[in-house]
Amino acid sequence: MKISKLLAAASLVTFCFAAGAAQAETLQMWVRSGIGASFTKLVEAYNGSHDDKIQMTEVPFSELVQKYATAIAGGQAPDALSLDLIYNPAFAAADQLEDLTDWAKALPYFASLSPSHVKLGTFEDKIYGLPLSVETSVFAWNKDLYKKAGLDPDKAPTTWEEISANAAKIRAISDDTYGFYFSGGGCGGCMIFTFTPLTWGAGADILSEDGKTATIDTPQMRKAIGYYRDMVKAGVVPPGAASDTGTNFLSITNGKIGQQNLGAFAIGTLVTEHPDIHFGVSLIPSVDGKTSSFAGGDNFVITKGSPRAAIAKNFLEYAYSLEGQKVMAKYGSLPTRSDIAAEVLKDLDPRMQVGVDAIAVAKTPYTLQFNDLINSANGPWASFTNAAIFGDDVDGAFATAQEEMQGIIDNAQ
Amino acid sequence: MTLADSLSPSPRRHRPKRRSQWKGVLYIAPAMALVIVFFILPVLFTFWMSLHKWPLIGASSFIGLRNYVRMFSDTRFYSALGFTAYYTVIITIAIFALAFPLAIFVERQRRMVGVYRTAIFMPVVVGLASASLLWVWFGNVDSGFLNPLLAWLGLVDPKSNFFASFDSAFVVICVMVVWKVAGFTMIILLTGLQAIPTELGEAARIDGANRWKRFIYVTLPLMRKTMALSLILSVTGSILAFDQFYIMTAGGPQNKMITVVYYIFNQSFVSFNLGYGAAMSLVLLAILVLISIFQLWLLRVGEDRP
Repeated sequence: MKISKLLAAASLVTFCFAAGAAQAETLQMWVRSGIGASFTKLVEAYNGSHDDKIQMTEVPFSELVQKYATAIAGGQAPDALSLDLIYNPAFAAADQLEDLTDWAKALPYFASLSPSHVKLGTFEDKIYGLPLSVETSVFAWNKDLYKKAGLDPDKAPTTWEEISANAAKIRAISDDTYGFYFSGGGCGGCMIFTFTPLTWGAGADILSEDGKTATIDTPQMRKAIGYYRDMVKAGVVPPGAASDTGTNFLSITNGKIGQQNLGAFAIGTLVTEHPDIHFGVSLIPSVDGKTSSFAGGDNFVITKGSPRAAIAKNFLEYAYSLEGQKVMAKYGSLPTRSDIAAEVLKDLDPRMQVGVDAIAVAKTPYTLQFNDLINSANGPWASFTNAAIFGDDVDGAFATAQEEMQGIIDNAQ
Repeated sequence: MTLADSLSPSPRRHRPKRRSQWKGVLYIAPAMALVIVFFILPVLFTFWMSLHKWPLIGASSFIGLRNYVRMFSDTRFYSALGFTAYYTVIITIAIFALAFPLAIFVERQRRMVGVYRTAIFMPVVVGLASASLLWVWFGNVDSGFLNPLLAWLGLVDPKSNFFASFDSAFVVICVMVVWKVAGFTMIILLTGLQAIPTELGEAARIDGANRWKRFIYVTLPLMRKTMALSLILSVTGSILAFDQFYIMTAGGPQNKMITVVYYIFNQSFVSFNLGYGAAMSLVLLAILVLISIFQLWLLRVGEDRP
């Protein structure tokens, strides 16, 4: 049969291509969306100067964990992954990651790598993940809109009364300018990143220290919700915010948003891709005025048994070099090596320094149920932020969230 | 002559009975192989999984019927069932309310009937995911056109976000699904209508039956099997709904739009409880089978006379 011969030939050719590609040593790597261009640029720089290539696949941030877990289960996992560091313990505990202990400790600058990343990358005294990117949340305002609203464009607001008042003035400029923005349509990841600092700075948290009790109903949280509710009610937040599940997180880039909490990655994006937007950056004030921030970022992990672990390590060493650190910092990822941080940031936009300063006041929540509790679009935290800020029944939202969060924690014990 | 008739041995042929039975088995073997490999075996494996605590990564452990016991006290599972039932009832009524008149409209030979049929059927060939994305954009408060249009008609406030409240988001999704699916139901009903011999209608007219009576006493009874088919397709499709809620509202404002399949997906691939997801899938399968049997019974399909 001619057809079957043709098919056989075709599949042989395909096979040869696949085998050929493997010999050219291309590392498959996944990275989550929403972290700006820093990683893409790093990969471009690496591919431009090395024989081995990195093939990067961007996966939606809200689905990366399940996609990676499914891929591992199906034997299709990428060689390496830029993993949101809060998930590192869960994957290390499941014995799915390559042990990097000996190699990592031999790095001359090992001691100066971001300690919180290394801590979350360590499981039972073995290192499975190393810092790739560091990000903190900060407050940003559009200086042009401040000017138009008759505000001092160089003075950062320090309380939420001030932010709310400024928002109202910016809203009054024209029909399509808005005072404040947040992704309020059930984006747990966005809200833990940008909203919880309002309560952290004031000494409250949504989980107890040991992570075993949900403590969402605090006076600080009620106050923070109140500020957001009032702004929504006053109409200074675009109506689209109520259903934004994170897609429009960088709304400030459209030039019509006066103020927003965002991340250091976004500073890089704004500086490099939207140079026409003049903005200021400061630390996020809490409800009582003290500042706080969320320190997040990604760890670099290698899938257990990957045949291309050597390239992955080589790539990571490049990321840690002065050149690699500079590329990443330019696009908004803060330096992961403290020993050369000053040198990396020397020629960069001074606003990046605010992101570095935020590390000192920042917090990283740690729980094995992070996906279920916080990040899942249908988790209790995501629903709570939407219900409490946009809904009619604030008390009910608090009660439901408290109950559901505690239920998830208890079920996992 | 139906397939069953041709397979049963007829007295005129003088072939041994056994041989023709083997021949019958041979004929259905490919179909049976497909059903066994792609349905029976997966269902058995799903059942096996449902008896385990089966995380997506890591080792599984046998826990007997605990996943099924858990379902009884899982309020989120019940609310998912409740919402799915609500959605199925509303959307099925909406689809039929539109598709039936459309089928009657395009059945008659009139000018440009081909154009009407094509236009109404067109959305069916769009993928559900693409259609959902399209309508998210239509309904977007900042850049869509539904808002300005309805505001211009004086129906809504121009700043109202359809996807922010349950009722309006639900209406948008239902309109999208009806737009997408009604054409398909219409085509099925159309074939049923065209299968009715015109003599019957004429005879009824001669007997003095008016248009409404002819529809109730002649057309509807003869449409029974067609309606059963489209009803089962529509109900099954609605009970298995997932894409539109996942894409358009990510589960809706405050998780009010989580269907059963959505909940199974979340349990399996967000919370990594594959075992629990498997148990719920089997319960859903049982529910679907029961509902289909009930519908066939209700419409008396299989009996020759009402």
